[in-house]
Amino acid sequence: MNPHDQFRQLIEAYAIGSLDAAERAEVEAHLASGCAECVKALEEARWLVSQLAYLAPNAEPSDMLKGRLLQTVRAEAAGSATRQPAGRGTRVPFWLWAGVAALLLLSVYSAWNEMQLRTTVANLQKQAEAQRAERQKLEQELVAAKTQAHEAMIWSDPKSVKIMLRPKDPKMPQLEAMWHPELGLCVRGWKVPSPGDKRMLQLWLIPKKAGGKPMPSMTLWPDANGTFTAMVENPPDAMSDTQALAITEEPIGGSPQPTSAPMWIGGVS
Amino acid sequence: MFLAVLSPQSSDDVSPDATLMLQLLRRDVGAFEELYERHSRIVYSLVLRILRQGSTAEEVVQDVFLQLWRNSAHYDVSRPFVPWLLTLARNRALDQLRLKSERQRRREEQTEEFPQIASAAPEYEKALDEKRRAERVRTLIGSLPSAQKKAIELAYFEGLSHSEIAASLKEPLGTVKSWIRNGLLRLKEGLQAS
Repeated sequence: MNPHDQFRQLIEAYAIGSLDAAERAEVEAHLASGCAECVKALEEARWLVSQLAYLAPNAEPSDMLKGRLLQTVRAEAAGSATRQPAGRGTRVPFWLWAGVAALLLLSVYSAWNEMQLRTTVANLQKQAEAQRAERQKLEQELVAAKTQAHEAMIWSDPKSVKIMLRPKDPKMPQLEAMWHPELGLCVRGWKVPSPGDKRMLQLWLIPKKAGGKPMPSMTLWPDANGTFTAMVENPPDAMSDTQALAITEEPIGGSPQPTSAPMWIGGVS
Repeated sequence: MFLAVLSPQSSDDVSPDATLMLQLLRRDVGAFEELYERHSRIVYSLVLRILRQGSTAEEVVQDVFLQLWRNSAHYDVSRPFVPWLLTLARNRALDQLRLKSERQRRREEQTEEFPQIASAAPEYEKALDEKRRAERVRTLIGSLPSAQKKAIELAYFEGLSHSEIAASLKEPLGTVKSWIRNGLLRLKEGLQAS
């Protein structure tokens, strides 16, 4: 008898469970080795052994057993049905809900943050604009203050030479100028009528040189009260070379050469 | 009749029991009740024969059927249901019988949560309906010598080993081994011839 035949004869006893421990271990090792014939024999032997249950005398369980079982099963089925909606394949797992919630919160936070940033940027732009305007205003005030100080020095310095500009029309007011050889030239007037439409006043320096052409200088525009003050830091010609100052009425923007007769003229002594 | 016995079982043939087991997967209480009606008597008879005590037997039967309900997914529908159910019930009853004993420990080593039995039933399985097959089993085993029949019953209903049966019957170990194997082979031949 070869080893396989030896194990084959133990299959029925193995199926009914009557082998002692040592033989049972040997059979199990043989089955584990993959003997298809013994595996098939074991399957049939197990079916055959199960038929021995019919040797048991007929008996019937109580109705109470069935009642208890059905009560338990119905309760579990109801519990299962209650849990069903959450347990189906369409259920969204908690981690996904958490992720969606996190993304939603992140989106809301990002939108809020962007709005805050936009507000902050707008405020900063307004502040910058205000600061820029303030700086321009201060610069203008500084320039005006410097100009006023400069003019004040010209008007008060002993080196300055006063020049009276007399009108050709006796109804017009007299103007005055003050020329400092180093600080420049100032001109001012009061109750001066406004020039005609699209016209303005322009200062000219009349050179001493014979045949010399009038040198154009700054343009002037009286305010509503007819007052104006103007200063020329660097006159186009030196005071010693200048014979007189003249003011004419010229088109807006001024002219390189006088286009009208002088309305005011004053000699430089 | 003989040809019918030998005709192979179709692999596509799903038994009514297997269909009911599949319905248990959908928590079908009606299917469970039908399974209970179909098989509770033979299961209870087997368990009561092993335990010999009605209330304990009912506890085991309740445990067996709740196992069906709760773990129906573990059942392989390609396997014959009734032998599988009877093996499950026998294992549960023997566990109960040997509770807190050394043999209980050995039993646990051998017993699986759900028993593995024939993946393909023998060709003669459908030759007889359950009632006629039960009668045939009783007739065939009943025709054996009483000592041989007793040895088989001790192995099956008491879960005794060859050595324990030999000691109980005061018979040689080799004799007991032959009785059990030959008795099962005679049962097989008798069912095949039915």
